[in-house]
Amino acid sequence: MGEFINFLGNNLADFWTYTGFANATTGHLVMILVGLVFIYLAVAKEFEPMLLIPIGFGMLIGNIPFNTEAGLNVGIYEEGSVLNILYQGVTSGWYPPLIFLGIGAMTDFSALISNPKLLLIGAAAQFGIFGAYMIAMAIGFEPSQAGAIAIIGGADGPTAIFLSSKLAPNLMGAIAVSAYSYMALVPVIQPPIMRLLTTKKERLMRMPAPRKVSHTEKVIFPIVGLLLTCFLVPSGLPLLGMLFFGNLLKESGVTRRLAETARGPLIDTITILLGVTVGASTQASEFLTVDSILIFGLGALSFVIATTSGVLFVKLFNLILPKHKRINPLIGNAGVSAVPDSARISQTVGLEYDPTNYLLMHAMGPNVAGVIGSAVAAGILLGFLM
Amino acid sequence: MKKIHLGILLSLFSFVGLTSCGETESEDSKVLLNEVLTLNKGNFQDDYGVHNAWIEVFNTSFGTVDIAGYKLAVCSGSNDTIFYVVPKGDVQTKIKPRQHALFWADGKPNRGTFHITCKLDSARTNWVGLYDNGGKLLDQVKVPVLQADHSYARLDDANEEWVVKGGNEANSYVTPSTNNMTIEKNSKQEKFAESDATGVGMAITAMSVVFSGLIILYVMFRLLGLGMQSKKSTESKSVETKAEDKSVGKSTEKEGEIYAAIAMALHEELGNVHDEESGILTIARNTSEWNAKHQLLRK
Repeated sequence: MGEFINFLGNNLADFWTYTGFANATTGHLVMILVGLVFIYLAVAKEFEPMLLIPIGFGMLIGNIPFNTEAGLNVGIYEEGSVLNILYQGVTSGWYPPLIFLGIGAMTDFSALISNPKLLLIGAAAQFGIFGAYMIAMAIGFEPSQAGAIAIIGGADGPTAIFLSSKLAPNLMGAIAVSAYSYMALVPVIQPPIMRLLTTKKERLMRMPAPRKVSHTEKVIFPIVGLLLTCFLVPSGLPLLGMLFFGNLLKESGVTRRLAETARGPLIDTITILLGVTVGASTQASEFLTVDSILIFGLGALSFVIATTSGVLFVKLFNLILPKHKRINPLIGNAGVSAVPDSARISQTVGLEYDPTNYLLMHAMGPNVAGVIGSAVAAGILLGFLM
Repeated sequence: MKKIHLGILLSLFSFVGLTSCGETESEDSKVLLNEVLTLNKGNFQDDYGVHNAWIEVFNTSFGTVDIAGYKLAVCSGSNDTIFYVVPKGDVQTKIKPRQHALFWADGKPNRGTFHITCKLDSARTNWVGLYDNGGKLLDQVKVPVLQADHSYARLDDANEEWVVKGGNEANSYVTPSTNNMTIEKNSKQEKFAESDATGVGMAITAMSVVFSGLIILYVMFRLLGLGMQSKKSTESKSVETKAEDKSVGKSTEKEGEIYAAIAMALHEELGNVHDEESGILTIARNTSEWNAKHQLLRK
């Protein structure tokens, strides 16, 4: 009887070593707390819920403590585990282009085509990337790491994941989480900078209504866009190719089913997989490092620089534009390619000062130009540093 | 029209077909001979611990290439050319992207897939050829007489220039199963770290490229927009002119039709409006199988 009780006791003790309670560390608890904060922000504040819920829950999944020496094959970094297989889409970099396919199929480039000079705002805002690159280099990161971190300033999650998976795979978790966090915090980061850099007169500036764009122009745009940008930066092909392909599916008017799949079930599926696996990749042991803290700091700076450079560029650009063609500097922030949040912020801030001045349509131009600009910038960094 | 398109398509296919055949040596081969060592005294040993001559092939592509069925041919001096067909069914014949495979020229194929039937004669010039599984010559090289433990190799993997290697200087190492030019550092990274420690150079270069790309797009769509607008204005002018011409004779007739349509629509709309309701409520009985009379009757 005594032996049997001993056997049961040993069994239970053995079982205890496999539980999360026995293997929990402070790091796990901190990361679980961060995951819960993400879920709270998504549910209560509605900050990018489509991203923060999968990432937040992924953080919970990735930080459930377990006995790593037991060979359970459940962790995201254990080769052959289910999570590891799903994570291949991130590490091999094929989730981001599929997301771009969906983005292309849901993006209307009319605002940009009708007023193509707005493309230049999208280019100017990319200075956020290279400003952050310079700071990262000054801090002491290697060029490839600095490039991967700097892309956070592109405000484009899939691009950030794509580039970091190539240039600095070990920092990818922190970079992805940082990029998505700041994208969710765009409504908090951008408005004070926009107010600071503009006068009341500039904020009240009205822009002429964009002209109607023909179907032919809409069909030509993705084709010419692909050929021009990818001939210039072939390394941006996976992202730009899929972006413009998705847009052609939408605008051709003869592939409605394909376009609907790309912007509906496909992008939803990939968003779920990408979000959960990126969240799960933030295992405390890999994630809680000094580098991660630096990356978060640099990410915030890159968003500030990008917003600043977008707004200041519009102000400078207005100096050479005729009076009736001037641009409201409040759409300068939209060059940061957090589609469509940064464009929505232009609209919100504009309406605060003039309830009849609708800037959304105009802001969508630099916003989608920012998507193209950040993909081009990623291609350049990849070409130079890979 | 469709026949013309089909004709163009077929012509293109036949042009591509004609231009891609009739070559004696493939110029864009994915697998190349990369390095040969004829006299092995103290160099790399095979799996049996024996020093033998070897031939290295290199997969130049970024995809895996299976060389099963490929042929290695060796001709030493006046001897006949001896062929060795790489056996099928060995997973090791799949060469990964930008990787190498090493064949031992020991004349003992029973020792494994990578031991070939022929030997290299270290005292004579050797000709080595590589054929694909369709018998097409992919690559060939004449290996001069070499000192012991010296190899005849491409300067770098897949480089066109062949050199003798075997010294202790950098880039002169004999490199079986590995890169002919040993990569000891990441040159791009180091170049940026040394010459652009602040990142200003990268920022200027990259921003210039981003701006150039988007400026080109801007110019293209500005011109396209102007073209479309002028086309639209021409079309609208011609439509207006045509409408004016037609309207001279038919204006009275058209106006009458329009008035009639408006009157019909108004009549239909106003006919459904009641000034006074009857005030009688009618409950329409809804019948179905469930409340049908025969279901409710009791025997």
